[in-house]
Amino acid sequence: MYFMMNQVSKLFTETGKETLNNLSLEMEKGEFICIVGPSGCGKSTLLNLAAGLDTPTSGEIILDGRRVTRPGADRVVMFQQAALFPWLNVMENVMFGLSAAGYSRERQQKTAETYLKMVKLWQYRNYPIHQISGGMQQRTALARALALDAKLLLMDEPFSALDKQTIHILRAELERIWEDQKKTILYVTHSVEEAVYFADRVVIMAENPGRIKEIVPIPLRRPRDIEDAAFIALRKNILSQVQLSARESAAEEFDSGKGTLP
Amino acid sequence: MKWKKITGNLCFLFGLLLLWQLLYMAACDWFGWIKPYAVPNPAGVVRCFLLLLENGTLLSAVCGSLFRVLTGFLLAALTGILLGVCITHSDYLARNLKPLILGIQTLPSICWVPFAILWFGLTEQAILFVVVMGSAFGIALSIESCVRNVPPIYIKAARTMGVDSIQLYRRVIFPAALPNFLSGLKQGWSFAWRALMSGEVMSSSMGLGYTLMVGRDLADINQVMTVILVIILIGIVIDKGVFTLAENRVRKKRGL
Repeated sequence: MYFMMNQVSKLFTETGKETLNNLSLEMEKGEFICIVGPSGCGKSTLLNLAAGLDTPTSGEIILDGRRVTRPGADRVVMFQQAALFPWLNVMENVMFGLSAAGYSRERQQKTAETYLKMVKLWQYRNYPIHQISGGMQQRTALARALALDAKLLLMDEPFSALDKQTIHILRAELERIWEDQKKTILYVTHSVEEAVYFADRVVIMAENPGRIKEIVPIPLRRPRDIEDAAFIALRKNILSQVQLSARESAAEEFDSGKGTLP
Repeated sequence: MKWKKITGNLCFLFGLLLLWQLLYMAACDWFGWIKPYAVPNPAGVVRCFLLLLENGTLLSAVCGSLFRVLTGFLLAALTGILLGVCITHSDYLARNLKPLILGIQTLPSICWVPFAILWFGLTEQAILFVVVMGSAFGIALSIESCVRNVPPIYIKAARTMGVDSIQLYRRVIFPAALPNFLSGLKQGWSFAWRALMSGEVMSSSMGLGYTLMVGRDLADINQVMTVILVIILIGIVIDKGVFTLAENRVRKKRGL
């Protein structure tokens, strides 16, 4: 397997809450996996562990035969906020990781050019970050992530802070780029529609403790049509499972007296 | 619009000078309430200013003081940055050293003069010591708070792009902290400038502080006032012309 999480648990000692319990997940090279689940089920924790920004309490994470112990350029993360550096312009932001890795200036520029053209921002290369829209910022962040040619792309609700129209445009763009580049992508989202649109397999998580409830393969042909009957059926099915697990955990909290509801 | 504002400012300043001169003439010449040697007057200050300018005293004093404050400020900035980075790097130091630094920072810099004279004598180093002690700690506290306020998302993003600790400081933390740090440096500069005057007044044979003391020794209150005005003017020029300008530039570039 290209990427593996083996019986990974994460316990936050301050709260004593087990955010992830004995979670195992395997990914093949070039696979696009989306993770959905109620808020608080540990989706983001899972992504942080994969990124090496946090270490698991037990279990191990392996990417391409090497154990993940700390952050590295082979696992680039795209966050909800673009997290671009405002002291650099669009092009310099895309070149950031390459320059940190010590590539020659010429190579940095060439690579940045390739990916800026891919996300259709080449004519904006000299713009300061604050002068481009939120959607363009997220596209810059995508170019920055792609430019590092990471083995695994980790995406933490990258489009959720954008407006609906921009989301649709960016989805189509990411889909096109993924078809072209065949990156291995682990994508966390709260939008089931987005998960069904992108994923080869959708991982449904449940909370308390955070665990995988079910993995649903999506056999639909790409590019997918969100109005298609089969698409809608899959979306409804997954959505009902997510809502069910959210209700269950709410009931659990309420019954055990942990909840704050009256 | 801009010119109108400037004309307004100039009119106000001129009015203030006129009022000052009138008060002086009323108090000294017309009613004889105050002895003329005890209060300065605008005409006397202008005369004194021209005289000091003519015989070169003012120029050498300004150059001497500026050179000192620059050296002292650079040393203070270096010490402050090192100290500040140390505190941000270690929670232990932050807990124990920060309150101490806060305390030292509130101490008026003139309190360091006895130490300075004991350790260095009446030398340049003594004055530099006072300047550094006066401004390094404020700069350290400023860098600590600036670094702490760097959005964690920048650091996270950089780390996942494979940046090591030294690069993290150089390429992310320092640039991100720069706009706020510039205002910290500005404050540090004003501390340094004040500390320099404490030092020069107490132990020096050159510079603005010394020229001020000469005025006192000669009972020439107009010279004291002239030097005070020059000190204020230089303070404003460097504050606005160097630090505020740099700050605004950086902020504008980042759309802040």
